[in-house]
Amino acid sequence: MPAGMAEAARDARLHEWKEVARVNGMETAQFSALVVVGLLVFFYGGTFLISTRIGKKEENADGYMTAGNNIGFGISAASMTATWIWASSMYASATSGYTYGISGPIHYGLWGALMILFIYPFGKRIRAVAPKAHTLAEVMYVRHGRSSQLMLAGSNIVGSLISLMSNFIAGGVLISLLSPFTFTQGVFAVAAGVLLYTLWSGFRASVLTDFVQVVAMLGAVAVIIPVIFFAADFPAAFESGAGNLTAQQGDFFSSTAFMEQGAPYIAAVLAYAIGNQTIAQRLFAVKENLIKPTFITATVGYGAMVIGVGMLGVLALYLGHEPAGGDLNNIIPGMAAEYLPPVLLALFFVMIVGALSSTADSDLAALSSIMMADVYGQNVAGKGKADPKTMLLVGRITMVVATAAAVAFASLQLNILDLLVFVGALWGALVFPVLASFYWDKVTGRAFTTSVLAALAVFLPVRFSWIPVDGFFGIVVDVLAVVGVGVVLGLMVFGFLGARAAKIAGAVAVVATAPFAVGSLHEYATLCGSLVAYSVSTVICWAMSVRQSEGFDFAVIARRTGDFDSGPTAAADTDGTDGTDPQDTGHGPDSRTGSGTVTVAK
Amino acid sequence: MSTAALTVYVLMWPAIVAVVLFVISRGFYREWAQARRDGQDII
Repeated sequence: MPAGMAEAARDARLHEWKEVARVNGMETAQFSALVVVGLLVFFYGGTFLISTRIGKKEENADGYMTAGNNIGFGISAASMTATWIWASSMYASATSGYTYGISGPIHYGLWGALMILFIYPFGKRIRAVAPKAHTLAEVMYVRHGRSSQLMLAGSNIVGSLISLMSNFIAGGVLISLLSPFTFTQGVFAVAAGVLLYTLWSGFRASVLTDFVQVVAMLGAVAVIIPVIFFAADFPAAFESGAGNLTAQQGDFFSSTAFMEQGAPYIAAVLAYAIGNQTIAQRLFAVKENLIKPTFITATVGYGAMVIGVGMLGVLALYLGHEPAGGDLNNIIPGMAAEYLPPVLLALFFVMIVGALSSTADSDLAALSSIMMADVYGQNVAGKGKADPKTMLLVGRITMVVATAAAVAFASLQLNILDLLVFVGALWGALVFPVLASFYWDKVTGRAFTTSVLAALAVFLPVRFSWIPVDGFFGIVVDVLAVVGVGVVLGLMVFGFLGARAAKIAGAVAVVATAPFAVGSLHEYATLCGSLVAYSVSTVICWAMSVRQSEGFDFAVIARRTGDFDSGPTAAADTDGTDGTDPQDTGHGPDSRTGSGTVTVAK
Repeated sequence: MSTAALTVYVLMWPAIVAVVLFVISRGFYREWAQARRDGQDII
């Protein structure tokens, strides 16, 4: 069929099957109110029914947080994939494709995917050291004390609230764009739906429904992208629309795409993967021998899905598509509304709702776990004295309060980007101290806290350009950023090949980068901000720890992070150190283990 | 990139997604069947 006839037929179908509304001066397809209500009832009603299949009258506090550390491959791989994908990642990947051209989605999705892969060796070590833990902050409490725990817990509370708010906003925007309902009505519908199926069974409901949501998401992507591709007259449009791309946009090895999108993202997502409780929670939940296949599958699934959706941005670029209102977040809904028949547009709607809901329920589960284990379990009641029923109540109240707060924040229209940048920097500053704390017995609580605070103090003026960087300070920033490159690459290599290879990789990266970076890298404030956070925290943490004579006995962590719901953690406590013993700190040549063994870094 | 290469580049991602969907679904089915045989909840 000639292109003109195909276009006319498509327009006729569009007007025949869908209502058309004018949003921001552009025509956009809409569902009727009845259809949207039906889709929401179908999606949230279905997930609620699924969650009732595993609901118990008497839930278990540990099950509510980590499902008994015993989840199989299918559910855990699906849950890891679903949690890593949020609505913003699809919008951002398409924006990257639209802005940077054919390599854009790679510089968003590939690096995000590889970070899942890079953290799995750390995940195996973390599970080996703390097999029954619920949160990373809980482990840091045992390792270093309260300040390190509160830094991790606090950053996760802020991070998860922002993520929750962001996903509710995405839901509100989608519903207002594709239906007669308002943004506020959309936010309330999504928030109520997510809370409905997560509240009773917590993390168990979150991961089980993640499977259904990921099936919907992956199935939708597998169908929708090829349909839009051919409906928009590709591959012919690659030739007719080539003039819409600049030289950089048409270059697969675009340096602009790497420096402005890829490189800052590499630094940011490593921090996100290590610091975020939603990932750590799944790490503690999956069967220990399934960590590797779970992470590899999630790597491939996340990468293919996010890059695939990002290709819609590339197609839009070739087509000369103008997003509604000039807002790049409207690229995906715009392309879907223009080229998909009603049934597939409904599938697209379910895909986005599934993406944002799977991340939102993970955030609720993460927030409840932090409040249950870190606030109530460790700090209010004290380990060994915490009442599991009270813990469950704390978890459920947390979910309700967090949902209400996120809905309220969504209406305030806060600057999400600035908040995310700050949390990302905090996690970036935490990466080395946290990882070193699992491998190196000499890291102290003072070194941990000082290095993180110092890194933040340097990050802020760099990221927000509080101090002019065109003079001496700029050179200092460049040098710190180059060291940060070495730290990031060194950490990636360390997980797979150990300390010796990591040091070599880090040193080579510094030497190779310095000639090009010193004198110019400070022009990229986002990238430099992340890199200085890594380098400053690493250098200070190392310098304050290297001369320590006392080592930490990592075996203490396993004893003091056991289940809450099976009574005191005395099961593994053969030497009288039951986790409630304040003297059982793990420091010193004996550290009350009875063995005197000091576990040293690999 | 040539038109053919661009076509493969765009369409390879949904194909990989379909493979991952199969792998995850197969894993889930096996766990569900095992849990059913054992008379336990899948999670």
